[in-house]
Amino acid sequence: MITELLYFPALLLILGGLILSIIPKNIRSIAFIVFPVVALGVVFSLPNGFTITSDFASYELTLVHIDALNRVFAIIFTLIAVVGGIFAYHISDKTQQVSALIYAGGALGVTFAGDWLSLFIFWEIMAVSSTFLIWAQKDRDSGDVGLRYLLVHIFGGGLLFAGILLHIAESGSILITALPNIYTLSSVLILLGVAVNAAVPPLHAWLADAYPKATITGSVFMSAFTTKSAIYVMIRVFPEWDILIWVGVFMALYGTIFALLSNDIRQILAYSIISQLGYMVTAIGIGSEMAINGAVAHAFGHILYKSLLFMAAGAVIYSTGKSRLSELGGLAQKMKWVLGFYMIGAFSISGFPLFNGFISKTMIMSAIGDAHFEWVLLLFLVASVGSYLHSGLKLPYFTFFGKNSKADMSIKEVPLNMKVAMGIGGVLCITFGLFPELIYGILPYATNYQPYSVYHLVEMIQILVFGFVVFWFFKDKLNISSDVLLDTDWFYRKPAALIKNVTVYGVDQTFDQAELVILSIRKWASVRFLNPMLWLNPFTNKKNKSSTYSPGIEVVLTFVLMLFVLFSVVYLFVS
Amino acid sequence: MKKWHWITLATLFFISLILEFTYLSDYKSHWWNSVPAFYALWGGLSAIAVIYGSSILGKLFLLRKEKYYDH
Repeated sequence: MITELLYFPALLLILGGLILSIIPKNIRSIAFIVFPVVALGVVFSLPNGFTITSDFASYELTLVHIDALNRVFAIIFTLIAVVGGIFAYHISDKTQQVSALIYAGGALGVTFAGDWLSLFIFWEIMAVSSTFLIWAQKDRDSGDVGLRYLLVHIFGGGLLFAGILLHIAESGSILITALPNIYTLSSVLILLGVAVNAAVPPLHAWLADAYPKATITGSVFMSAFTTKSAIYVMIRVFPEWDILIWVGVFMALYGTIFALLSNDIRQILAYSIISQLGYMVTAIGIGSEMAINGAVAHAFGHILYKSLLFMAAGAVIYSTGKSRLSELGGLAQKMKWVLGFYMIGAFSISGFPLFNGFISKTMIMSAIGDAHFEWVLLLFLVASVGSYLHSGLKLPYFTFFGKNSKADMSIKEVPLNMKVAMGIGGVLCITFGLFPELIYGILPYATNYQPYSVYHLVEMIQILVFGFVVFWFFKDKLNISSDVLLDTDWFYRKPAALIKNVTVYGVDQTFDQAELVILSIRKWASVRFLNPMLWLNPFTNKKNKSSTYSPGIEVVLTFVLMLFVLFSVVYLFVS
Repeated sequence: MKKWHWITLATLFFISLILEFTYLSDYKSHWWNSVPAFYALWGGLSAIAVIYGSSILGKLFLLRKEKYYDH
């Protein structure tokens, strides 16, 4: 059992994360890369059908069950953990290193889990560990943002767990299987729980809220794991759920609109994730072999180019300390390498032929076309043009070429390791674009799909050429103001002040007022009763101070008089 | 944008048109394939639509002053 666990890549990374926390600083960065490399080797070495089980209460957990589907996700997750490790080589922040490795382990755990309980445990490990990648930023906003991120994921985890418990009660099995396309309470709860992590609007706002605020290296990891592991679960559990077809279209357009309005470079990329996830979600909804292959290939490719884009955006932030298009511009000459790497990612996400976005996007488009969802196809073309506009043109134009370039903007040199990591990402994007069979060969279903057909080339060339022409003439219409962009997080961010006022400040102020009332009563009483003679004897000299006043015979007579009165009253009532 | 940039774009579009009219003349899988240079048209219109669409939504509902969430 113990030796078996060494073949459990998720545990390898989680244990690696724990080991990182106790080893010296000078070898931590190397270990941060070594653990994912070992995990990658293990993932490649394990055959399909490999299973690790473990007893837990009266259940038998299937911690690992490898098949063609989760192998692809495991490969790309560990690969990106290696690249992310290289990108983060220069940092010595233990919090980030430990949490990033545990986070990667959580993603692998979700991917390999054969039963719902294991999946849920790793799901929550991901939520908690990734939160630390936001908190590690340690700036003015990161505390609040991290807390919002965590609360949303706890909510999503709660939905998922409720669904899982109901499902286990109904089916009597904890094994993860595809659910039939029937809306039962359990399946809807599971779908909603997964939808939170897959950033399906309106449950998506955590993504665009958190990713721009995470650390530079943290956002690279975050862009890869949370949403794509949710997409994996969706492929596994909800294939051919037809509602997902239109949900995906909505996501693609929603992400596009918001990315076009965003000003922060990492927020543009965050919304662009939602848009790209839309392609995968729709493909899952269609559920044909080609569609599922397309979803998996797009998840694979998207992780590669989106992490490259986040790395390049991170390098810009690292160098300039600025993240808003309204503050950036004119960096092309100063950051040639970063611009080059960014553009490889930009060409990929825009679907340029010869880059890896093209080979998966066309596959999904073909699957949609084969299923005769013509308007879905046309709307995805709109989203595709949108991706090209925001990630392929707006972001690089206003960052590297824009007019508001400031000659005095000081630039910090990007460390070599960051360039190496971006270089690896760039090479992979081009390699998979040139040799699509490298990805097609590992997809869950055998395929001989040819992305480089004349039809797709004509389609993409025309779209890209005219998309560019429109951008050039209408670029001034794009928002790069420093305005804040409202999203569905408004529904919990805006009332947060009211709720805080009622439940925290309100209670606080009630206690404050009560204290003031008590204090004023005390003050009144102490003044009023400090000198009893003032009210016991109306004939006494009011100018007498209690500290110097000697009562003498007056007091004795007063008390005698009082006793008479008292006895008279008692006598009156008793008789 | 220099002159040769525009010439490159025009050439690319021209090549796509040649490919469309030579190789794809009998392609009937979607109704829009009978429209010449449909993807150029759709691409251009989509770009204008999303730019103006997002801009209008931004002005009407989505964009607020920077300190909007600060209490």
